[in-house]
Amino acid sequence: MAAEALLEVEGVVKRFGGIHAVDGASFTVDAGSVTALIGPNGAGKTTLFNVVTGFDPADAGSVRFDGEEVAHLGAHRIARRGMVRTFQLTRALAAMPVIDNMMLAAPDQPGERLLNVLLRPGAVRAREREITEEAMELLEVFGLREKADDYAGTLSGGQRKLLELARALMARPRMLLLDEPMAGINPTLGRRLLDHIQRLRKEEGVTFLFVEHDMEVVMNHSDRVIVMAEGRVIAAGEPHEVRADQAVVDAYLGTPA
Amino acid sequence: MTLPLELPLAFTLEAFTNVGFWSGVLVTAGIYAVVTLGLQLNVGYTGIVNFGQAGFMAVGGYTMAILVLEAGLSFWLAMPLAVLVTMAFGVLIGLPSLRLRTDYFAIVTLAMAEVVRLAAQNAQGLTGGNKGLYCNFEGVNQTCFDEAWQSVNDSILGWVEGFWPDVDPLLPLLLVVWATVVIGIVALNYIQRTPWGRVLRAVREDEDAARALGKNTLLYKLQSLAISAVLGALAGFYLALFLTTIQPDDYEPIVTFFAFGVLILGGLASYTGVAIGAVLLWTLLEGMRFVELPISEERTAALRFALVGLVLILLMAFRPQGIFGKREEMVLGR
Amino acid sequence: MEAGARAEPAPGGVDLRESAREHPVAVAFGVIGLIVLALIVAKGVHDVAQASLNGLTLGTIYALGAVGLTLVYGILRLVNFAHGDFLTFGAYMAYLVNVTWGMPLAAAIAFGMGATAALGLLSERVMWRPMRAKGAGFLQLMLMSIGLAFIIRSVIQWFWGTEIRTLDVDVTESVSFLGLRIGQTELMVVIVGIAILAAVAAVVRFTLLGKRMRALSDNLALAETAGIDTRRVILYTWLFAGALAGLAGALAGALTNLRPELGFELLLPIFAAVILGGIGNPFGALTAGLVLGVVIELSTLVVEPRWKVTFGFLALIIALVIRPQGIFGKAKAL
Repeated sequence: MAAEALLEVEGVVKRFGGIHAVDGASFTVDAGSVTALIGPNGAGKTTLFNVVTGFDPADAGSVRFDGEEVAHLGAHRIARRGMVRTFQLTRALAAMPVIDNMMLAAPDQPGERLLNVLLRPGAVRAREREITEEAMELLEVFGLREKADDYAGTLSGGQRKLLELARALMARPRMLLLDEPMAGINPTLGRRLLDHIQRLRKEEGVTFLFVEHDMEVVMNHSDRVIVMAEGRVIAAGEPHEVRADQAVVDAYLGTPA
Repeated sequence: MTLPLELPLAFTLEAFTNVGFWSGVLVTAGIYAVVTLGLQLNVGYTGIVNFGQAGFMAVGGYTMAILVLEAGLSFWLAMPLAVLVTMAFGVLIGLPSLRLRTDYFAIVTLAMAEVVRLAAQNAQGLTGGNKGLYCNFEGVNQTCFDEAWQSVNDSILGWVEGFWPDVDPLLPLLLVVWATVVIGIVALNYIQRTPWGRVLRAVREDEDAARALGKNTLLYKLQSLAISAVLGALAGFYLALFLTTIQPDDYEPIVTFFAFGVLILGGLASYTGVAIGAVLLWTLLEGMRFVELPISEERTAALRFALVGLVLILLMAFRPQGIFGKREEMVLGR
Repeated sequence: MEAGARAEPAPGGVDLRESAREHPVAVAFGVIGLIVLALIVAKGVHDVAQASLNGLTLGTIYALGAVGLTLVYGILRLVNFAHGDFLTFGAYMAYLVNVTWGMPLAAAIAFGMGATAALGLLSERVMWRPMRAKGAGFLQLMLMSIGLAFIIRSVIQWFWGTEIRTLDVDVTESVSFLGLRIGQTELMVVIVGIAILAAVAAVVRFTLLGKRMRALSDNLALAETAGIDTRRVILYTWLFAGALAGLAGALAGALTNLRPELGFELLLPIFAAVILGGIGNPFGALTAGLVLGVVIELSTLVVEPRWKVTFGFLALIIALVIRPQGIFGKAKAL
């Protein structure tokens, strides 16, 4: 029984001046899976992320999410369709309180339209109450509930990572693209993050694609690994398959995990 | 024993009890407060550095006057129409330029305001060129653009004179301007506390993060600019009624720069601060006229420039959040 | 309307838009060439050539102002609104030497350059360096530069008032060649300006200092870690920027007249040249300045002369919208 492909990337090309940052990358991500995207520095992983999530227009190729072609859509439209990303340097909105960060992410907020603010204040208030409750629950799960009213800028680096993940979840994503989630956090926190990821995959069926350099995480916590080098996908498969692949070994100059 | 002291400058405190002084200061401060409320929304809450407020004032003022003088519309109809035109103009400007980097956007809006002013200066047939617009003394519509307002003004004054014989003729305008300021502050504070305002703050802080969460940031920036354009148009009307003429010289970039002075004096992200900053700055600027220094008019004008310049420099150096701003909300240019 | 997010799935085919994006200089000159051709057909070679010559004079001033401004903008990320008043300062310093002290124009211009260079260095020492140390953001610096502009303007107005003054130059004599006329002063401006521009270009291109400036412009932090003495390079940058601004101002004053707004009026077209040339790119600023001057003058063949500055600003706005990184800028993400 084959799992359904949620994300299908085909022949994506992205040029910057004369450099081909992404040079014809193709891969698929199955629904409900945890997939790792790895590769040496400069392989084009973050650029590919940017293209897939609509932050950079592709020069060629196609990106299909849940069967729909999204390559030409802007970032916010892709996010609305359920593909939410985080960033390498966490973008916790530091000058806003934690709770505002969370509430911002919730979808279907009538209060975000000026017309509704003026004409339907009741509906706006009702939804605000709903979202506040949801946000507090989620903060509780991630252990950030006491920090709800603090400015996000006062959080530690690790707490900001958790906040970013919690915030991304408020957006009810079908697929989460995490750009180096383990970077710069201590192992304990890393454990918690991974536990959350597994739980979310199991309970909510969220699909994960993350860029990672930590090979332990990649080998032991992902269903599938995609390897990029020089703008192309050179290998894709289960962790142990990929580790043994000669092309992958070469790409990393002979230093597997 | 008398001291043979001759003070080099004499300070007339008498000026500060002169009602005429205060009415002039308050009207000017009020006009600047209206236009700077829009600036606060843009800069302090959306993170877009709009240097085109003088342009919006000009579009509003000129459209209103042209509609009254050339198209023969009633003043009360011309105003809302002019507001709509200015708003549309703001959206038109914003559509291509809001996706630019912050500093490029600042320069484009400044250029846009100058294009408006230069067009007003050069399209003599339509705008009266450098002389500006006031009254039509020939042709079909022999009227002045503020005729309707003047009659309202006179009726109010007539009524007030009943119990306050020395009432300043600027009182009705002052009331209207400050009513606008107060309503503006209340309304803007209200919408800032809504989910809409929350998205705006997110756009200010990190546009990409907002986009990654599904927010159409361009739309929000456009709305912010459109509201600012409306406020600019209103300020343009009030300025026209105050000066009783509409001339290109009144919409020079210096108006926008002074508005920024008001903005940072009151403090980023504080609407009430805008009102207080405006009154403070203009009391200072106008008050200088009553310091009897043995210097010429030109030099007094030069001092005014220096004062605003110093305000800008000292505040940015030592207290960038202004009087009422919050340090945490100073996100721009980090 | 999504901002620029369009994937053209044409693997193998030659995408015209793509090649246009990769060769902006060719496209720009191609477009201008076509326009010039059209003008020649419509108005004849003589008129076009004469307008181009006039434009060269204007363009030299723009180029001189733009090169200095782009260096400061690129290396220090400072949108220096005071640059226009640097020009004014240079002009008035030249006036001091030329008219008040009665010395020859050459000495006056040299003095103007030196004095403005000193002003630039002073501003770096007193304002910009400490603010950079504080980690001031771009909006803070921009507003401070406006404050500085006001202060320079007020000093000039204090000492010289607002009356229009002129330098001791001959504005009537002209020279003809090839059937074209050019004023003696204009010719001097072009010769001196282009000579200095060529010298600066040579320094930037061929000397170690120039190489270092370019490195800082690319990436200040990286240059610091690479061991370059950034402080010295920054001081030299201000030296150049100030001297070039002073020269531009003195020449502009010689061409027209001296008034406190002299420099500020030139600031927007200078910004246009900086942006069109790609921020931080002195060669781009040089070329863009010259081209802008010529294009603005050519426009007088089609529209009435009083519209030519407006036309220039419109050109800036359109150019920014089409290609925000300028004609010569690298295709960096917005």
